[in-house]
Amino acid sequence: MAFLCNWCSYAGADLAGVSRLQYPPNIRVIRVPCSGRVNPLFILRALRQGADGVLVSGCHPGDCHYLSGNYFARRKFALLKNLLEYVGIEPGRVQFSWVSASEGGKFSQLVNEVTQEVKALGQNQKLVKRK
Amino acid sequence: MADLIAEMRQAARRLLEEKKVDLIIGFEKGTLPLRSSPCFIRHPEDVDRLTWDSSCENNLAKYLPGRKEKIGIIAKGCDSRAIVGLIQEKQLEREQVVILGVPCQGMLDRWKMEQLLEGREVLEAEERGEELYLKGCDFERTLPRAELLHRSCQVCRHRNPVLYDLLLGERVAESPVPDEYAEIREFERKSPEERWAYFTKEISRCIRCYGCRNACPFCYCRECFVDAEPLWVGKTIDLTDTQLFHLVRAFHLAGRCVDCGACERACPMGVDLRKLNKKLEKDVEELFGYKAGLSLEELPPLATFRPEDPQEFIR
Amino acid sequence: MKEQMKYLKLSKEEMANLLDELRREFRVVAPVRREGLILFEEIGSGKEAQLDFGNSRKSPKDFFFPQMEVLFSYQLSDNELKIEEPQPEPRKTVIFGMRPCDARALLLLDKIFLEGEVQDSNYRRRREENIILALGCTHPRRTCFCTSVGGNPFGTEGIDALFIDLGKTYVVEVLTQKGEELLRDRLSEADEESLKSAERVKREAESSMGPQVKAKELADLNLLDIFEDSFWDQVHEKCLGCGICTYLCPTCSCFDVIDEKTDSGGERIRLWDSCLYPLFTLQASGVNPRPTGRERMRQRVLHKFKYFADEFGQPSCVGCGRCVVSCPVNLDIRRVVNELVGGKA
Repeated sequence: MAFLCNWCSYAGADLAGVSRLQYPPNIRVIRVPCSGRVNPLFILRALRQGADGVLVSGCHPGDCHYLSGNYFARRKFALLKNLLEYVGIEPGRVQFSWVSASEGGKFSQLVNEVTQEVKALGQNQKLVKRK
Repeated sequence: MADLIAEMRQAARRLLEEKKVDLIIGFEKGTLPLRSSPCFIRHPEDVDRLTWDSSCENNLAKYLPGRKEKIGIIAKGCDSRAIVGLIQEKQLEREQVVILGVPCQGMLDRWKMEQLLEGREVLEAEERGEELYLKGCDFERTLPRAELLHRSCQVCRHRNPVLYDLLLGERVAESPVPDEYAEIREFERKSPEERWAYFTKEISRCIRCYGCRNACPFCYCRECFVDAEPLWVGKTIDLTDTQLFHLVRAFHLAGRCVDCGACERACPMGVDLRKLNKKLEKDVEELFGYKAGLSLEELPPLATFRPEDPQEFIR
Repeated sequence: MKEQMKYLKLSKEEMANLLDELRREFRVVAPVRREGLILFEEIGSGKEAQLDFGNSRKSPKDFFFPQMEVLFSYQLSDNELKIEEPQPEPRKTVIFGMRPCDARALLLLDKIFLEGEVQDSNYRRRREENIILALGCTHPRRTCFCTSVGGNPFGTEGIDALFIDLGKTYVVEVLTQKGEELLRDRLSEADEESLKSAERVKREAESSMGPQVKAKELADLNLLDIFEDSFWDQVHEKCLGCGICTYLCPTCSCFDVIDEKTDSGGERIRLWDSCLYPLFTLQASGVNPRPTGRERMRQRVLHKFKYFADEFGQPSCVGCGRCVVSCPVNLDIRRVVNELVGGKA
């Protein structure tokens, strides 16, 4: 599951596509206006519904279309990532990045790497509601 | 203690007689040995119900949001920090409360006492200075009070109220605990599998009674996320949903929780909730340099940011 | 058919063996100590059963009225809706160690789930599958008040066999055919001496009961006199509305029914709910007949001690005292009942 902010990361992903840069099809993208829109509950819900990994990507600090959304996001995600790893969720399941609209290459490389890392962790067994 | 109680009653009486407050919220004697119970006093004649001892464990700030009256409230250190937080979050106006601060030497942990006595019933109890005398039908024990304090009190750094209109009794020495997060650091040193096993073992006892949520002064949402739509986390006692409930509640309290322990004390199943809350408290302090409930002017940590906030975890 | 009241006996040392023997034929549930609590659980060996305890933290009503129960599941495939009801394996179960109050509570739950036109078939099946070996209360706790609400520390209602603890031995009062069939070949008959001791233990327990609760007096009050009393304005103030009392209570039976989606369809699930939660009576129109804690606390107290008593002749409380022990703010229902009655005396 990938939550990409409309103005930077989603555009960056778009650029990757247009440039024919390959990345694995395991990723499912959800477009949000801003990384600050991402409620930690979305990330937890994704894990609950069986996602093996979650990626959240937004604009670089200073470049947020809404000026400061990504700054608030940064604080929330620092806490959430620490909390999840603290209770034993494997580091690498939930990841965060800054990808700008012009970073098509970064995006495809990122997804390649994240997909490999999540694959290596295996299927998500924790916090999954198996039904 | 007797002087403190007399002072408390006198202050409450005056506030009510002079109509400086409409309501006093404090503690009265409970119906069981070593229990106190929150009480609500509106008439000066009733102030003699007020009491104070090591069983005044509840966080009375819980009763403040949503009230229109002027309230005189008895507040320990942690309670006063909760009041600061509620004012910060605009659930309360500063002028609405007259805070009767009481320096606190820690409150007893009923769960700990139950474990120590292996479930045997206490029929009589008496606080004797730094010792606690407990009597049941087949035992009599005197135990050091310090050993029976709740973990949150043992690491508390704010025994003296941080905000008050009147201070009752004498200031007490702050605890000499060198690191209030020692328990969390020790837990962090365990392997992820060990930590997951512990988290699962604790949460598997949870019965989703929401005692923790309802005892917490900061859980004042009219509609909690467990009832709201869209429903991100299921309502049943399914283990995953219950684990998620506690993760989200702890997260909602990040930067707000003052470690009063009300959640753990309320829990009928003895779930180790502070393992989660204290971790977030530690991260908020170490990552953002913020401690809850100490300053009326500061912005809550998730409502603000610094350009140089940590971001090594972001690719 | 008249049942012979039989008195058997067993030494405490033999208890674990008896449970192990029973385990060969039945699932055996008993009070165990887990993480510092006494809870009713299926035991893996007779030794796990606790013989010396007050009462379990949670009531054993879970085994009859589970906290979470899938009523049916539905699946959509090829535009066809398939509905499946769970078909649980029949499991004859022996529950040992239930206190007389909790056993009596099941009879009160029977009135809700088994009487009337609509019966809960799952509940009935569980009631039929279970054999209850109760443990009488030699040392009632100060928080117990069963005698105020029609019970007794050695009450026999709803029990197949009652174990009376004499210290080193049990005298077992066999009360039903189920109980007799289970135990007659496994235990020897009790002697006169033991029977006399059992009677003494019963009398002592009954006379050692703690403060009484004016439940009968409350049931006798006129509802119209007390419903709008100003008493209710204050009594709820300290209540957190947390629901702990209702969850631990052996007679509380409020529930919610929800649908949860699964990968290919969904499940309809019944789960415990509490009348103390604000949303419990929230109607689709937005109207809530119990909008504040005042109405909800009034509901809790009057339902337990007045409405149920009016309808069924006995209060819906069995005096187990769990709510008194576990309420985070020590809102003592005994005090509430006595003060309400006291004000109207």
